[in-house]
Amino acid sequence: MSQYKPSDLLTISIARALKGAENCFHGVASGIPCIAIMLSRRLHNPDLVYLNITGGVNVDREICEVSTDGNSLYEDSRSSFGLTDIFDLAARGGLDVAFLSGGQVDQGGRVNNSVIGPFRQPKVKLPGGAGSAVLIPNTKRAFVWKSKHEKRGLVERVDFITSQGNVKYVFTPLCTFEMVDGSLQVKERMPGVSFETIQENTGFAVEDNGAPEMAPPTLEELRMLDEIDPQGFRDLETR
Amino acid sequence: MSKITQLHTVLEQIQDGSMIALGGNVMYRSPVGVAKALAKVGKKNLHLVKTAMAMEADLLCGTGSVSTVSAGFVGYETQYGLCAFYRKGVESGAVQAQEHACYSVITALRASAYGVPFLPIRGFNGSDLVDAIGFKTVKDPYTGEELLAIAAMRPDVGVLHVQKADRFGNCEIIGSQYEDQTIARAAKKLLITCEEIVPDDYFGAHKKADLSGVTVTWVVQLKNGAAPGACPGYYDIDHETMQRFKTLKTPEQLKAYLEEGES
Repeated sequence: MSQYKPSDLLTISIARALKGAENCFHGVASGIPCIAIMLSRRLHNPDLVYLNITGGVNVDREICEVSTDGNSLYEDSRSSFGLTDIFDLAARGGLDVAFLSGGQVDQGGRVNNSVIGPFRQPKVKLPGGAGSAVLIPNTKRAFVWKSKHEKRGLVERVDFITSQGNVKYVFTPLCTFEMVDGSLQVKERMPGVSFETIQENTGFAVEDNGAPEMAPPTLEELRMLDEIDPQGFRDLETR
Repeated sequence: MSKITQLHTVLEQIQDGSMIALGGNVMYRSPVGVAKALAKVGKKNLHLVKTAMAMEADLLCGTGSVSTVSAGFVGYETQYGLCAFYRKGVESGAVQAQEHACYSVITALRASAYGVPFLPIRGFNGSDLVDAIGFKTVKDPYTGEELLAIAAMRPDVGVLHVQKADRFGNCEIIGSQYEDQTIARAAKKLLITCEEIVPDDYFGAHKKADLSGVTVTWVVQLKNGAAPGACPGYYDIDHETMQRFKTLKTPEQLKAYLEEGES
C-alpha cells in the first residue's frame, strides 16, 4: 500500500482538476499550486500554459525554494510574460485558471485576505489579497486552495470581502468543494475522509450530498511528485 | 553627465512625506539597502508603493517612518510569514494600509506613466475594498459601461536595485524585471542602486541595456543592496539573517539591527 501525506493529496487533487485547462497562473506564496501545475503538465495536461509572477513561462524544474516569485521560476524560461501581461490577459477574458488562497473563505466563495475586525485599526491585519480582487472576477475559473482545513478558515461569512466572483473550486487536504448555485458543495472527499470529519472541521454547514471519495494517488503521481519536489516544500503549508 | 552619486546625497533630497515606489518583488531585487538607509536617517510619513512588498515595509514601519502603504500584498512568503512591524503599525492605526490588488497598483503607476489622471480597469466586483479605499467608478462615454477608475499615483521617487548600471543610468537586470519598467516611467525622480558600475562601452551595438537611463536621476553603487533578499547572479536569500530579523520584536531591537547592518 502506498503512503501519502495530506500535502500529496491536496497537490494531486489540484493537478487532476487542471486536466482541461488552457492556461493558468499562480502568484506569491503559492507553493502547492506551483507543484500541482508542474505535476499536471507532466502527467495530465502537457499543453497547459503555465504563467507566474516572474514572467517565466512553462517552467518545469525541481523545486528548490519556498518562494514562488523568485529567479528559479524564471531563469529557464524561453520568453518573459510578466505580471502586467498576465493581469491584462485576465482583463480581456483570456486567463482560464488563477490560483488564490485566503485567510478566510466562506460558503458563498467569498475570500478575505484583508482584515479580521474593522478595516482601520483591525484586530488582525492580513497580508492582502495580492491580485485576487481583479483575478477572481476576471479569470474564467478561480481555484482557491486552503492548506489547512479548519473551522476558522472556512467560515459561514467572511469578516471582509477582499474578492469574490468566479470561484470554481476550493481545494483542501480533506476534500474539494465546488461552487454550485452560489454555494460551496463537496465534490470529492479525500480517500477515507467522512462527511462527519469534513463537517467537524468546517465552519459552515456541509451537506452530505453523497459526493464520492477521490481516487487514491497513483504510484506514478506520487513518484512524479517526489521528482518535482524531492525536498518536500509542499509540506510546509499543510503542517 | 554622470548620474553617479552617493546615497547620503540622495537621501538629503528625499523629503519627509514623499511617495516612494519600490522595485523588485517581495524578497527579490527589492531595494532593502535604501529602505534601511531611509529608516536610519529617520525619514517620516513616507508613502510606500509596490505590488507585493516585504522587508521595506517592515523595516520602515518598525522605525515609525511610514504613514501609508499602497500594496496588493505585504508579507514574506510561507517561510517567514507576515511582516510583524507592518502589522503592528496598521493594527495600532499608525500606518494606513491602502490595500490594492496588484493590478490596481500597476494601473495607478501606468496612469502616471501615461500622463493621465486615472485609468479604467475591470475588477473589484463585489469587493469591500471599493468602499474601504474609496475607489470610484467611471462610465464609458461610448457604451455606458461602468468601470473602476484608478487614480494615478505619481511617486516622488522610484527606487530600483539592479545588478549593473553605467554612469548614464542604463541598467542590466538579471532575472525577472517585475514592474520596474513601469516604476521607471511613473516616478518624478528615479534612484538606481546597483551591485556594480560598468564602463561606458558595456552597453552598445552588441548589447542593449534592459532598462534605459533616460528616466534615471541618480546612480548609486550599493553592494548587497537587496540583502537579506536575493539578487539573481549575485546572491540568494540570506536565511540566517532573515531568521534573526524575524526574532526582532521591539523598535529598539530593530534600531540595533540597523546600526550593525553595514553587511
